[in-house]
Amino acid sequence: MAVREVLVYPAPILKQMCKPADPHAPETMALVQDLIDTMYDSGHSVGIAAPQIGAPLRVAVVDVSESKLGRKHNHGLMVMINPEIIERSGQKTMREGCMSIPDYTGNVERAKEIVVHFFDQHLKDCVIHCKGFEAVAIQHELDHLDGKLFLDRISNPSTELFRRKH
Amino acid sequence: MKHFAVTIIGRDRPGIVSDSARILYELGCNVADSSSTILGGQFAMILIVSHPDFETSEPLQRAYAELEDSGLSVFVRTLKPGGEKRPDLPGELCMISVYGSDKAGIVYQVTRLLSQNNVNIIDLATKLIGTAERPVYVMMCEAVLPPSLSVEDIRDMLENLREELQVDISVRNVTPVEL
Repeated sequence: MAVREVLVYPAPILKQMCKPADPHAPETMALVQDLIDTMYDSGHSVGIAAPQIGAPLRVAVVDVSESKLGRKHNHGLMVMINPEIIERSGQKTMREGCMSIPDYTGNVERAKEIVVHFFDQHLKDCVIHCKGFEAVAIQHELDHLDGKLFLDRISNPSTELFRRKH
Repeated sequence: MKHFAVTIIGRDRPGIVSDSARILYELGCNVADSSSTILGGQFAMILIVSHPDFETSEPLQRAYAELEDSGLSVFVRTLKPGGEKRPDLPGELCMISVYGSDKAGIVYQVTRLLSQNNVNIIDLATKLIGTAERPVYVMMCEAVLPPSLSVEDIRDMLENLREELQVDISVRNVTPVEL
């Protein structure tokens, strides 16, 4: 287990398409543990994706259960290996920030509810319905696996990009 | 390094941004923050720029003379040291929407109340919409509340104005989330 450095843009890996991970490989489980440790260590983050700690693989973790916005609807810690969103519905706009783009936040519109398909840390094939903040967090993290940042999704530059308050 | 605030406004046309950007590039200026938008038929730009050597705004003003000749108004202000840095604003962030039949005093009454309560407006846009017969005024305001005030407090304070001005007002919390 290890807390890893969170890479910030313009680290090239953040704009790369990530490759599927081998759920049976011990390295994948080590990566999962590092993601969990790094996410919890940051104290304020509710999710992190593998490329953010330097691994170009399709693995991400999310946990919104401790966040005020996610307390109502959440699945606790979600470890997602090779995740895919198979259904999206509704719209929800949130002011997003990202550990890999310090000091900026922007309004991003995403699906309000999603169904996501993935292998978890116990190699269980999961299909989970998520909504609200948890759904937003998953979409944000899964974007990282495709080399997409929230900056790629901001719709109106004049009012939707602000320096984050510290 | 000295920083300058540059404001440019004039009849909208393609090329205002690139003309201004070329002038700054040729001078060797850095653009730190900027915001530009179309207001009515006018295009308005506000930029915070810096230059490693300029001590006064004079070189900027001279370089911008050609833009003024093309019909734009340009104003350059020299910032005091630290004037380029955004102050740290603790407190809740909220979005306030005010809209209703157009009448005098909507912006004044709402912002006076916010100011009296130490609410700091960080972004404000207003627009006149609807028809000539039934004009509707829309005001969107993003503000930082002082630590002593909550979104509910502001909502309660604005309640009286809603009656008085016969407008609709909504206040909602904006929570930036780090993902």
